[in-house]
Amino acid sequence: MSACAFEAWCLPGGVDPPGLAEPSEGGESSFRLLAIDPDWLDGLIDALANAREGLRGLGAAQLAKVLGQAGSRFMDDDDPLRQEALDRLPATSGLSAEMCRTVLDGMAANWSEGRLTTLLVDELGGPQPLDGFVDQGGPQTMAVGARLCVQIASGSVPGVGVDALIRSLLTKAPTLLKPGLGDVVLPVLFARALKEVDPSVAAGLAVVYWPGGDGALERTALTRADLVTIYGSDETVRGLRALAPVTARLVVYHHRTSVGVVGRAALAARVAGATASDIANAVALFDQRGCVSPQVIWVEEGGEVTPSAFAAELAKALEAAEGALPGGRLTKEEASAVQQLRGTAELMAASGAGVDLHHGGVASWTVVLDPGGGLEASCIGRVVRVVPIASASDLPGHLAPYAPHLQTVGVAGLGDRLGALAEKLASVGVTRIAPFSAVPFPTASWHHDGGGPLRDLLRWVDLEGGS
Amino acid sequence: MSEESCDDFVKGAPTGNAHFERLATDLEARLAAGFEQPWIEGDFGRLALAAFAYQYEHNPTYRRFCDGRHATPGTVASWRTVPAVPTTAFKHLDLISAEGDGADLVFLTSGTTRGGASHGRHLVPRPSLYRAALLSNFRRHVVPDVDAPPLLSLVPSPDQAPDSSLSYMVGAVADEIASDAEWLVSGDGAIDLARLQEVWRDVISAGDPVLLIGTAFAFMHVMDAVSPGSLEPLPDRSRIMETGGFKGRAREISRGDFYERLSSATGVPTRRIVNEYGMTELLSQLYEETISAGADPGSGHVPPPWLAVHVLDPTTLEPVDDGHQGLLAFFDLANLGSICHVLTEDVGMVRDGKLHLSGRHPGAEPRGCSRAMDELMVDRVGQ
Repeated sequence: MSACAFEAWCLPGGVDPPGLAEPSEGGESSFRLLAIDPDWLDGLIDALANAREGLRGLGAAQLAKVLGQAGSRFMDDDDPLRQEALDRLPATSGLSAEMCRTVLDGMAANWSEGRLTTLLVDELGGPQPLDGFVDQGGPQTMAVGARLCVQIASGSVPGVGVDALIRSLLTKAPTLLKPGLGDVVLPVLFARALKEVDPSVAAGLAVVYWPGGDGALERTALTRADLVTIYGSDETVRGLRALAPVTARLVVYHHRTSVGVVGRAALAARVAGATASDIANAVALFDQRGCVSPQVIWVEEGGEVTPSAFAAELAKALEAAEGALPGGRLTKEEASAVQQLRGTAELMAASGAGVDLHHGGVASWTVVLDPGGGLEASCIGRVVRVVPIASASDLPGHLAPYAPHLQTVGVAGLGDRLGALAEKLASVGVTRIAPFSAVPFPTASWHHDGGGPLRDLLRWVDLEGGS
Repeated sequence: MSEESCDDFVKGAPTGNAHFERLATDLEARLAAGFEQPWIEGDFGRLALAAFAYQYEHNPTYRRFCDGRHATPGTVASWRTVPAVPTTAFKHLDLISAEGDGADLVFLTSGTTRGGASHGRHLVPRPSLYRAALLSNFRRHVVPDVDAPPLLSLVPSPDQAPDSSLSYMVGAVADEIASDAEWLVSGDGAIDLARLQEVWRDVISAGDPVLLIGTAFAFMHVMDAVSPGSLEPLPDRSRIMETGGFKGRAREISRGDFYERLSSATGVPTRRIVNEYGMTELLSQLYEETISAGADPGSGHVPPPWLAVHVLDPTTLEPVDDGHQGLLAFFDLANLGSICHVLTEDVGMVRDGKLHLSGRHPGAEPRGCSRAMDELMVDRVGQ
């Protein structure tokens, strides 16, 4: 553990941290960790619960302002907080420094007062339903946030933890966030910023990382929650779901797969390069760890640029992206998966299956032209399969096997066919359809995995017969 | 894959193949002689390059793959630079390097992917070569000091599980080494506990050393199912071969705890429990030297002289130094009928000639016949 190891927690004022955990072998040496036991965690949760009245005493617009003040610090180049974030992120997230800057810019753009105010309007028509009963045509209604929101996040993309805690605080819910290992820095720094801006709001927030283990701490935390937000693999979600009280509301973001489709209009010779560039950017962002990161691109046949030639364009664009946004570290296991796919694609190419392979050598980017569509696509890195398709309207049929995990479909060159296709995609299970250029960074108000970012966190109360 | 479809091979069109026959016959004699006839410096390298030249010539897909990497029998000077095929490729292609003789055996790998079940398969054109490889190695590491022990198998019989290379292997041991065999697990993963307890009593009253074979998962099942102390200790000099692991299973216990528990349940000392490491894509196996050299359990696996292992950097695929972790690649002469050089997804290191596994990595699909059987057991238990 180095002297400059990062403290992987930020507690509300008045809560004493327990002692430090013994440094463990392995990947956590960038951090100092707390030696947490269930009793201490119970005490922390008591403190958070006590902060609820303070949060409820504030107007939602005021909360948006306070949270926005903390969030905006991450966009200010002169702010030491942003500097520290940029210094810490590469080592702790595994992403390159250039990528960390781009990711922080993209994520923190949604943390300003302006964006949060827009979020309140998009979701609730404004802050009023959070502050009291409002007339909405029928009975009067009020939106009430949780008594305690416990969030277990995944760490694959830095900034997701901050998104999560901002939303629950905006609903006036005291929040305990356990970030994922790769996303510890931003939530902790955000919580520190919040303490400086407004300690009374920060009294309702604790960010604390602990290594996954026997589940005792998770059980302690989840037992107290009436709202649980989980980000993670299907396996993680399955385990945590079982620990949550039956009465708690669960908001779950399990494993997701995103894909794309390119219509003939985007395959005209003069635009195909730009199309490929947008896709390469969407693939490269987050080194493909994002749930929005496309894994498979279906390319229409019959365009000026063939699917095979488009795969070569995409390879060129990924090579260029490697210059602007260098890839980060892959684990041995991730690198192994890339090697397996490349070797298999090479053999399939040699077998005459019509497969073609482009890759970046030690850079992880890999493009496989896969006419049979049989290769699996679950590589992390920058690995994308290009599958020819007769018509974009055939896409929904191809997506059926992915249905339970589908999220975003990136699109280009569909023109007026988009509307009809989008309806079919919606029916298959897709929750977001967006131009490739917009794929990496959804707006603050997006229906992440099909739910309302605030509405999913709220309990609606009806007042009938009121004046 | 050669130009013909796999089904043609399975049906077989016996036109013969002199090159394969000559190489395979020589190799089989070497393997069958096992450890009696020492392998001298250069033997492996020479045979490996001959095997590569054969596979390059007779497997058009592999030839084009090698050409793409500018590696031909004329340019490759060491088995280490022979292009390796990834284990994943066995799921997509029939990597057979034989003409006309047909694949007498087809082994399936297990595996479930996000898209659903996805099996790889290893076509084996000359089962006798596989038998020669597995038997001499098994004799050396599992039964060097006993003749014809009775076999109790927690692996299904080859009749019950014809697609399983592990079942085939245990079947060969039953045929060639054991005095008689009791198959205690059916093809659908059900353990016949009543029969187990009955034959357990029989072998104890007979008093001869027993050979007990199973997957780690199957042993756990048996130990969970029988009440503690209900199995009498097996006769002196009995031994256990166990294979597979727990990684990614609902329950995981440490290797040490597992061996202690297994030892106390069976009366077989941990020094006579031998771990086997193998996979469907390789016809040779590696063993720990608990019995053959008195090694501690967990102190590393050794390959037979006809199997070479090297450790590669996951990003560059360049060799890493001894004592450093990387991806394992194997050059297995027993794979003459398919592809000898195989790049696996397993991580480990080589130190002092022994292979130290880091466990199948968490992202890797469950694989290997022991896992296939484990999955069946899980399904049954869940019912």
